[in-house]
Amino acid sequence: MKVKIGFEIHLQLATDRKMYCNCPTNYQEAKPNTNICPICTGTPGAKPLPPNESAINSAIEIALMLGCRVHSGEVIYIQRKHYDYPDLPSGYQRTSLPISSGGELEGVRIRELHFEEDPGQYDPVSGTVDFNRSGVPLVEIVTEPDIESPEHARRFLRSLMRALEYTGKVRPEAGGAMRADVNISVEGGGRVEIKNINSVRGAYRALKYEIMRQGKMFRRGESVVRETRAYLESQMVTVPMRTKETEEDYRYIPDPDIYPIIIEKSKVDEIRSKMPEPPIMREKRLSQQYGIPSNVAEVISSERELADLYEAVAIKVDPGLAATWFRTKLKKIMNYMGIRAVDLKFTPDQLAKVLNMVQSEKLTPEQGELVLRELARNPDEPERIVKRLGLAPVGENELRAEVERVIAENGRAVQDYISGKDEALNFLTGKVLKAVKGRADPRVVGEMIKKALDRV
Amino acid sequence: MTMEKMRRIRQGELSAAENLSGMLDRIKKLDGEIRAFIELNPNAPAEAERIDRRIQKGERVGKLAGLVIGIKSNINVFGLRATCASRTLENYISPYDAEVVRRIRAEDGIIVGMTNMDEFACGSSGETSAFGPTDNPAARGFIPGGSSSGSAAAVAAGFCDLSLGSDTGGSIRNPASHCGVVGLKPTYGLVPRQGLIDLGMSLDQIGPFSPDVSGVALMSEVICGRSENECAMLDAEKPEYLNNLEGGIKGLKVGISPKFAELTDSRIMDVVDAAVEKLEDLGAEVIEVDLPNLERALSAYYLIVSVEFFSATRKFDGRKYGKKIEEVCGEEVLRRIIRGSYISRKEHRGRFYQRALQVRTLIRQELLAAVDKVDVLVGPTVPKLPHRLGEKISVSDMYAYDYLTVPANLAGICAGVVRAGDVNGIPVGVQIQGKILGELKVLRAMKALEEAG
Repeated sequence: MKVKIGFEIHLQLATDRKMYCNCPTNYQEAKPNTNICPICTGTPGAKPLPPNESAINSAIEIALMLGCRVHSGEVIYIQRKHYDYPDLPSGYQRTSLPISSGGELEGVRIRELHFEEDPGQYDPVSGTVDFNRSGVPLVEIVTEPDIESPEHARRFLRSLMRALEYTGKVRPEAGGAMRADVNISVEGGGRVEIKNINSVRGAYRALKYEIMRQGKMFRRGESVVRETRAYLESQMVTVPMRTKETEEDYRYIPDPDIYPIIIEKSKVDEIRSKMPEPPIMREKRLSQQYGIPSNVAEVISSERELADLYEAVAIKVDPGLAATWFRTKLKKIMNYMGIRAVDLKFTPDQLAKVLNMVQSEKLTPEQGELVLRELARNPDEPERIVKRLGLAPVGENELRAEVERVIAENGRAVQDYISGKDEALNFLTGKVLKAVKGRADPRVVGEMIKKALDRV
Repeated sequence: MTMEKMRRIRQGELSAAENLSGMLDRIKKLDGEIRAFIELNPNAPAEAERIDRRIQKGERVGKLAGLVIGIKSNINVFGLRATCASRTLENYISPYDAEVVRRIRAEDGIIVGMTNMDEFACGSSGETSAFGPTDNPAARGFIPGGSSSGSAAAVAAGFCDLSLGSDTGGSIRNPASHCGVVGLKPTYGLVPRQGLIDLGMSLDQIGPFSPDVSGVALMSEVICGRSENECAMLDAEKPEYLNNLEGGIKGLKVGISPKFAELTDSRIMDVVDAAVEKLEDLGAEVIEVDLPNLERALSAYYLIVSVEFFSATRKFDGRKYGKKIEEVCGEEVLRRIIRGSYISRKEHRGRFYQRALQVRTLIRQELLAAVDKVDVLVGPTVPKLPHRLGEKISVSDMYAYDYLTVPANLAGICAGVVRAGDVNGIPVGVQIQGKILGELKVLRAMKALEEAG
């Protein structure tokens, strides 16, 4: 069963000011209806200011990140899209014609990209509208229907989010700022549009559900007609939307209050010269330049700040060791703490020191991980952390004494070991480590016990 | 007249308070019948006294110091109602000043009140106001013209020194002509529209009324010029008209077109022809220009304005201003909304609106080419005489008032109107159209006609 999936994805641009007025954009923090003015509330007679240049620049950078051709030198109209909803103060939304087209990501062609403005937020329960969000700049990315499965969709969206996060020009997904509509057609059926998708996971689940639903209809001999459905996040299903909502005619007209924009080629060149390396390119480069496996390079380049940190550390220690630590221990700590690379406050130097201590066996890998965890929580010089945690390795004599003591006190386990039960060695090693509070390498301890018992 | 009053106020011969109270007395006495104002500004006397104190202290005062000014009810004045003469906005109190109002206040003009108008500026007679029709002070019982009916009538009746109107397809020039006052529609994009409630955004332009050309020049200086706070504006310096009005019109190239006579009542043409002769006598060179498609402007105009008006009125959805426009508006407003909604439908794309835009381009090219050959075009303002108040006329007859004024809006050029005579006691204004930013030559030609009497 052949499936074709395409996306229309809306994201908020991370600008300080709204698209057509100077109101601040921090609508989530502000009290309702405090970040507003005559312009973003559509007060009679209010005229838009010229479009927010930093929003347009952000949209250009995103387009370049996705390998799109920016329509520089062309006249780009800003249109009015009319529809009637309480959150839309003027009864229309301003939306630009495409500013770029023709990119590609994960085998999915980008059809076009343009900018828009967000409406306010309507609460149907209280019947009130908060216009703080009204006029916040958005970018809309439209793909061709090149996606072939929910898994492919998920891969594409993750890659897209990673590329957008690299630019730093969109509000993070965590803020609920991504909104997607998805078109899906399963071979033999009509095209179904699903609205109200708010996350990568939501997209995956909605598509899974929709393919299953359409499959069932096919098997029952029913035909799938063209329609618009809504995804219900809480129930993980899609439901039909009323036809009135889907057959709207937006009566697009160029906004007479805004002169069309023309993007200068020199501006595009300038943005291109300053923008970060796209994640896909960086992933490849990391793999080649540092000789690390591509799956490890993928993990490291999942966040721009993580990749930046890696490259700063990799010039000070063995890049292979650093890569392994990034992929396993550092990622584990970040996941545990629920933080992202941008939240890591220690310096590359401090991390490099920890790795060097491990490499020179001043710390065991387990101890190194403890130091790293502490470093992530309360950044400090690693030497001081080692001291504070009492991790300086025990002296050889002290260790040997502990080994002797444990052997003497655990006759039964010693007997087990001698009679061939290898697990007994682990038990004994554990006893020793506990006695020295982990300040020894388990492998070394194991060897010492083995040697001692072999002599018996 | 305006300049003389300005001088008297500055020199303390007439106080701003006296000027204002004189106006208020006249309003009280006569406006019950004229209906030029919808609402008066309760703060005006205090503002006048403040200006007087400053004059007494010898402080610097602005260009409009002590002059009494009426504002059309589609322009936001903080604290006053911008009703657009509609039930839709009858309780809408402006939360901000329009940019032009800010400029007037900065020059110490005293805003006396909000003038009557055709509802949402949809009309050419001044009769579609929800607050009742305005009478013509210069020809009682006849329509004052519209849509800036109250602003023209207020100046004609001596209720204020100057006023602001808005002109989308003739709404300043048409009532200026019928009421026998001077009006100017500046070049599109020369006056900020921030705060002007929309009719057709690509055509709307705020402009002044005055009893004389100097007053129009004075007010234009105050309101014209670039604004950082607006997108669709020309990047133009603040102009200086007042000190450049004199100097005559010797050698001024005056364009006329045979098209004007084809479309216009011959009694009106007689007045216009006489005005052209006066200009010629004063040294102007009269040149005939070709305007082959002029009459096509009207239908294109009504399609474009309806689509833009439909879009502009979507905010009057009954959620924020109490009343849904379609439920309370008058016939003509509803007609334009329905027409705009119909022709902007997806299935009609490329048929009406697109065609209208093409005609607009044609008219623009034609008019720009014509004014390129000359300095100004001189012709009639309205092709026929006004009807009596209350007389029923058809929609197409109503629209026909606009044949000669809409082309300037479609082309974005400036155009002024000055009284040139009368027919049976009804004033007739001559329309002088100029190049883009050609206001000064238009004003000079108007001044020359005014002085020639």
